[in-house]
Amino acid sequence: MAAKEPREQSDGSELGTTARQMRAAQPYINAVWKLVGGAVVGVLGGYWLDRKLGSGPWLLVGLSFLGICVGFYGFLREMARLGKRK
Amino acid sequence: MRKAMVLFASLFVATAWAAGSEGHGEGHEPSVPEYILHHVSDTNDFELEVPLGKPIHLGAIPPLRIGSCEPVMTDHGLVAPSGWDGLAKGCLDLSITKHTVMMWLAALLLLGSMLVWSNRDKTKLVPRGAGANLIEMLVLFVRDEMAIKNIGKEDGPRYVPYLLTAFFFILFMNLLGLVPWMATATGNLAVTAGLAICTFIVTQAAGIRAAGLGGYLKHLTGGVHWLLWPIMIPVEILGLFTKPFALTMRLFANMLAGHIVLFFLIGLIFILGHPAVAVVSVPFAFAIYLLELFVAFVQAYVFTLLSALFIGMAVATGHHHDEHGHADDHGHGHSELGPSHDHGKAHA
Repeated sequence: MAAKEPREQSDGSELGTTARQMRAAQPYINAVWKLVGGAVVGVLGGYWLDRKLGSGPWLLVGLSFLGICVGFYGFLREMARLGKRK
Repeated sequence: MRKAMVLFASLFVATAWAAGSEGHGEGHEPSVPEYILHHVSDTNDFELEVPLGKPIHLGAIPPLRIGSCEPVMTDHGLVAPSGWDGLAKGCLDLSITKHTVMMWLAALLLLGSMLVWSNRDKTKLVPRGAGANLIEMLVLFVRDEMAIKNIGKEDGPRYVPYLLTAFFFILFMNLLGLVPWMATATGNLAVTAGLAICTFIVTQAAGIRAAGLGGYLKHLTGGVHWLLWPIMIPVEILGLFTKPFALTMRLFANMLAGHIVLFFLIGLIFILGHPAVAVVSVPFAFAIYLLELFVAFVQAYVFTLLSALFIGMAVATGHHHDEHGHADDHGHGHSELGPSHDHGKAHA
């Protein structure tokens, strides 16, 4: 993609209250989504692979655990960065 | 004001009359729930009943089907598979339906009214006439209160044409549904999903345009180590679809629920089986009808507002990337501009 020219940015003061609040809340919503999503993807992925490979509950258990761990990792990382930014 | 009240009342009476008269002349008298479901569902048969006359069946428009659409024997005879069942069997049903006709009608009305009411005379700065003034007011509202307030001063005007199209198209479809013998196309999940997909595409395009393709793709990795990408990329991709899903369900459910409530209140007369019920149910239904008029505007407003909000969040991420010229190792950086610019995410 072609490099974009630098542009002058406004300070966001023209934005409405809803837009400002939504943008402020977005990283927190995203962090929670990562936490939940990691577990959901792990469980569904493990279930699907178990059915495909006939490997009993092992992949379901393993990937669920991994998904939860990744979710927590993403969540804590996001929270730590947000805390640092403040 | 009095004229408007008379118009609303006439429309309501005609709608109620249409509700009562539909299904006459057929052997099977539908029950109230059957009637309501028939009224709100999409069919290939566009039926128009003329007051005090015989119903005019516009007829089922010849179906257009792609794929293996061999008719199968059902309780109603030989029927070609359609809808989700058909799709599962490899048959794509592209037949023109009642709601398709409504969308065409809304598009034609939209085009016609805009051509008539738009201020095409460039020598005149001030629009003349009630229609032109109304359109100008709505257009300015969408530009100033939705686009600029949610996307920003620089990028807002770029997305105004899309937001205006969505707003007026939804508004016309919603209002058409309140005209007797018409149908609400926005009460169809496929229609609202189509509209939400349009917003989804515009949102992603805005994100890519603002952040660059590299920055956009980097956000999809979730900022974690590459070994964890197999889990985090599906999570981020799932996150992309939550907002268009909310847009789809909100518009669909609101428009469908309003119509069901309206017809159920009229149907109470038939369910309870006494004309005296009309003393209560008709005024209530009339009130709901007036509320539906309001809801038609509110739902068009909400859909457009949320679209602008999502586009704004996608654009904010791109600005964040622009400011630094790069993203940091986890796809995020630090901004000095304040909360409105450092909190956006490309997958908004």
